[in-house]
Amino acid sequence: MPAPRHHVIIGSGSAGFGAATTLRARDPDCRISLVTLSSLPFYNRYDLPRIFKGCHDWRDLLPIMPAKYDELGITLRRNSRVVDVDGKAQLVLFAHNERLHYDCLLVCAGGRGYLPEILADQRHLMHDFASFEAAMKVHDALPRRGTVIMLGGDMLGIDLALNLLETGYKVTLITTPQTFWPHRVDDDTHARLIAALEDKGVRVVGGSTPVAVEEGPPNGSARRVVLQDGTEIAGDVVMPFCGLVPAVEFMLSAGVDIERGLLVRPDLRTTGENIWAAGDVCQIWSDKEKEYKFYHGWRNVRYMGELAARNMTGSDEEFKAGKDRGIWLDDDNAIQSSFWEN
Amino acid sequence: MKKNGNGTDIQIAICGSAGDGTIAAGDILKRAMSLQGYKVIAFDLYPAEIRGFGKCISRVRISSDQTYSLKPQSDILISLNDPHAIPHVGEVRDYGAVIYEDMPIARVPEGGHISAHVRPAQIPYGLSIRYISEQATSSARSRNIVVLGYLAGLLAIERDGFHQTIQEKFKTKAKAIAEQNIKAFDAGYNLARGVFRLDTVAIRPPRHAKSGGDAVMMTGNGAVVRAFLDAGIETYFGYPITPATSIMERLTVEMPKTGGRVLQTEDEISAIAATIGAGYAGARAATATSGPGLALMAEMLGLGVMAEVPSVIVVSQRGGPSTGLPTKTEQSDLNMAVFGGAGDAQRIVLAPTNVEGCYKCAGKAFEIAEKFQTPVIVLLDLYLSNRYETVIPPKRNPFAPKPQKALAALGGNGPYKRFAAKPDHISPRAIPGEEGRMHTVTGLEHNELGRPSDLPEVHMAMSHKRHEKLKGALKLRDLTLCKRFGDDGPVDVGILGWGSTFGEILEAMYAAQEEGIRCSAMKVVMLSPLPRDKVAAFCDDCREVLVPELNYEGQFASLISGELGRPVTRLSQVTGAPMRVEEILQEVRQLSAKARPKRRRKKQDMGDERASEAGLP
Amino acid sequence: MNEHLKPVYLEEKLDEIRADGHQDYRSKAVPTWCPGCGYYSMSEGFTMALNRLGIEPENTVVVSGIGCASRFPFFVNTYGFHTLHGRTLPVATGVKQANDALTVVAVGGDGDAFAIGGGHIPHAARRNVDITYLVFDNGIYGLTKGQASPTSALGFTTPTTPYDNCDQPLNPLMMLLSYKASWVGQAYAGRPHHLADMIAEAMAHRGFSYLHILSPCVTFDKTDMTYANLDVGVRDLTDDHDRTDLMAAVAQAEAKEAPALGVFFEETRPTLADAMAETIRRSGGQAA
Repeated sequence: MPAPRHHVIIGSGSAGFGAATTLRARDPDCRISLVTLSSLPFYNRYDLPRIFKGCHDWRDLLPIMPAKYDELGITLRRNSRVVDVDGKAQLVLFAHNERLHYDCLLVCAGGRGYLPEILADQRHLMHDFASFEAAMKVHDALPRRGTVIMLGGDMLGIDLALNLLETGYKVTLITTPQTFWPHRVDDDTHARLIAALEDKGVRVVGGSTPVAVEEGPPNGSARRVVLQDGTEIAGDVVMPFCGLVPAVEFMLSAGVDIERGLLVRPDLRTTGENIWAAGDVCQIWSDKEKEYKFYHGWRNVRYMGELAARNMTGSDEEFKAGKDRGIWLDDDNAIQSSFWEN
Repeated sequence: MKKNGNGTDIQIAICGSAGDGTIAAGDILKRAMSLQGYKVIAFDLYPAEIRGFGKCISRVRISSDQTYSLKPQSDILISLNDPHAIPHVGEVRDYGAVIYEDMPIARVPEGGHISAHVRPAQIPYGLSIRYISEQATSSARSRNIVVLGYLAGLLAIERDGFHQTIQEKFKTKAKAIAEQNIKAFDAGYNLARGVFRLDTVAIRPPRHAKSGGDAVMMTGNGAVVRAFLDAGIETYFGYPITPATSIMERLTVEMPKTGGRVLQTEDEISAIAATIGAGYAGARAATATSGPGLALMAEMLGLGVMAEVPSVIVVSQRGGPSTGLPTKTEQSDLNMAVFGGAGDAQRIVLAPTNVEGCYKCAGKAFEIAEKFQTPVIVLLDLYLSNRYETVIPPKRNPFAPKPQKALAALGGNGPYKRFAAKPDHISPRAIPGEEGRMHTVTGLEHNELGRPSDLPEVHMAMSHKRHEKLKGALKLRDLTLCKRFGDDGPVDVGILGWGSTFGEILEAMYAAQEEGIRCSAMKVVMLSPLPRDKVAAFCDDCREVLVPELNYEGQFASLISGELGRPVTRLSQVTGAPMRVEEILQEVRQLSAKARPKRRRKKQDMGDERASEAGLP
Repeated sequence: MNEHLKPVYLEEKLDEIRADGHQDYRSKAVPTWCPGCGYYSMSEGFTMALNRLGIEPENTVVVSGIGCASRFPFFVNTYGFHTLHGRTLPVATGVKQANDALTVVAVGGDGDAFAIGGGHIPHAARRNVDITYLVFDNGIYGLTKGQASPTSALGFTTPTTPYDNCDQPLNPLMMLLSYKASWVGQAYAGRPHHLADMIAEAMAHRGFSYLHILSPCVTFDKTDMTYANLDVGVRDLTDDHDRTDLMAAVAQAEAKEAPALGVFFEETRPTLADAMAETIRRSGGQAA
């Protein structure tokens, strides 16, 4: 009897988790290894703002209880950083010096937060929001009614900002070209959206690029951001939300085509044999527009993961982009976004 | 254990290969925590082979209240060697932590890294242990210290106890070594302080902080040594045998300091022979062995009984029969200890249930042997011998010194009768050196003068004497012979136990009580002569009696059944490991259902009995 | 001419014996040995030696095993321990370790010493425990009625060797010399005065003294180790025998067919008690 197929999924976000559960449903016998940097089992990162509403136990964020992974026969490999993939030998190499052989590889490593070059050195003074731990650190660092200085304000950030306001914190948004990423908005829409944010209570600072993040003065606020025009913005925590950059470093010698993200066909296959990709990490070929496109947002990402899993187990479906309504203001002047749809 | 509010009760398992410093790390951990005022119980597992890279596991349970067993589940597992540690990942409870090396220098085979085996509900913590060790000390040898620091930092335990313990541990080496290790510890500690906790392992400040200064960590064997020295042991003869060897090794260091004499003999027969010879000559003499050694000593023990010569024999049981399982624990030498030897050779047998009990029984054994003029066997097992518990040494020496008074002058009452008939059947004993009382003792049956005699009335009378005199031991006041715990009066289930298993029995009893079962437990320390009346009274209170013990044949159960003429339920296990609390509890539940099939059980109000019942034997 | 065949005048002899004082060392018990047994000479020699050396009976312990010889403690007026077959030496060592001021004498027969007890002898010898070991070699198991022993001659017929003994006998003297016992001597029950001297010398020696005593079993051995055979068989060690020369002693011991009487080997070296004292000193302790 041939050995069961071993599917390795890199990334345990919505795409990776959706793929894992779909694989199991479609192939009861295959081996599934779900690889992640995280120390925790899958939880929806889009739920993290709940931390500011009193949800401090990560177990409350889990969509399935840990025991279910054993029942489903999904091997969860946490704290595991992939440093290289050998497409020919079909091996995944970990930072902890282990090599894992795959029959099928699905890369859903998502993206890292982008940080403008000029601020790269000051990353250590900033807080990210990419994990439960990071989110709790923000929560612990914020005093009551504290201020978050948000750089950029992509759709993840905007969602967080609105949550923060609801729970009594203050938000100062310093706009950058990445504001409202991944949506591309014209100036008019931009202005109306900014107005809506200010309406909600966000202090918006535009017109000048942030050039430095510093520790605040003693007896003053914990942080300050210096703009190009010399303005200093004070706050307790600085959080960059400048969009995502696909995490593809470990794929560079895998033998697959990469532009900014991993390039995939509409069926989500990469140019490497037995390697698929889904989620924020990949760009899907659009025959209509004759280019490779990113599809972000929880719903897209999840759909991609499940689609890839079906194709890995014999299907031959193509990714169909839903109608992208983009970003708009609803009747209550609240910001709505296809990025947030689930 | 019986929950007494929000106390601490965590168990850490450190698993590595021989040479990784696993046991040393466990040693530092338990001493540091004991110093800070926690109660600690610890048990180490060593590889069976001497050389090679066998598995070592050090398990340390840290709690606010005294406890007498390890938990079946640990809260944290530290891996110093993944291939050895991986099989034990399942031992960690849900939402506990697994700490490991995240940058091994050697290529790991597929599935060979512990990160693949951490259960979904457990929290993995990886750190570059080797790298940190090399940064702090220029060598990888302090990996165990680094990871210990990381553990302490993760649990936010104060450092001082650890620093002190590390200084103490390396005090015989160059000063730089201790300093380097403290650096390694701090490196791990500081790293952990920046880590966000995802597990639910909590440690609260100790109840009696810094009374820890009085407490010491001691093994059963260590307690025996301490007791012997405090009781004024004069001669020790012994033969190396696992797990009793460390008793001799410690005594060879300590006894000469007070003029005592230790001799390693050529075999166990010689050891007991010399011990009895020394006892005959009036010295406080002892030996220690394990099952196979006791088998060899059987004939000599009979001589000690027949000739009414005092001696003390410590027996630490291990897996049997025959050579058996030398590094595993068991309780299968009860029959031999109580009955072994030719003929009706009853002697006194004491079986302590915890480390403090080892101290008391081993120390008192000399007085008892002298008083009743017979061999006294102190029965331990490997688990008790090697398990660390926090004990507070007594402020005053609790043991009476050897009686110095020689016998009064003979007067005109004829020749000295070494075996003179007396109401309590104990004849005044002269020892060599005393004028006018020369006599010969023999293994032959003998008359009051000690002269060989096989007359029917002599044999009947002397057999009667030798057995009746032992009953006086049942009246001893300063040693617990048996003790009842738990619910008073009639109960559904009673658990009767002896030796180290009693720790698990007690925990099972508390758990059963919390489930609403009327439950009581009794430990029997004096196995021979058996405190029959008290044990019978206990059994009469119980609808069902459960006897858990680590031997296949249910030796204690048979003893009780035979003595009391009533059936008991046996729970026999020979896994080489201590009995699991859960298994005893399961039996209790089943017996309880049997005892009270229809009545609904209601929860009992426990009150604060626990503290007063804390196990002094 | 054999000493015990010389004419003796009863009254004078009795007076001499009573005045001597060594009778005080005898107990009231009547020995259970057969008349003519060589052990009577040993008993006499022992009490004479104690008397001569002025050792108090209350400070003397006689330790024995099992066998005819091992009944000895009951017949002397000292402390005694009649132990188990073959276990005399370790018990004696224990007594001595407990109280070094005691004079400890271990006694046993050839079976007790060299069959079951053989494993203990090298250790008592190498430790140089300050005891005297008197072994009565009658080449037979008398108490159990005549079975072969480790020193029985080749070809000897006994109830357990009805087709003659096929086992090579041991050479106890060579064994003790190889164990480097610090005093090794041989005597003969048929020469009671020499035996008494040897016992006294053995006891006076500081260290482990081994005295091998050839002693006929008049009841069960009528052919081999008899008085008749031994009277002519034994010889004295040559005058020029060097007691300090181990190899010379071995050479003398090897010639078993002509057993030599006297002190084969003697040396002074630290005893077990000395070793214990040294250990105590090194530990920084004080002798109790």
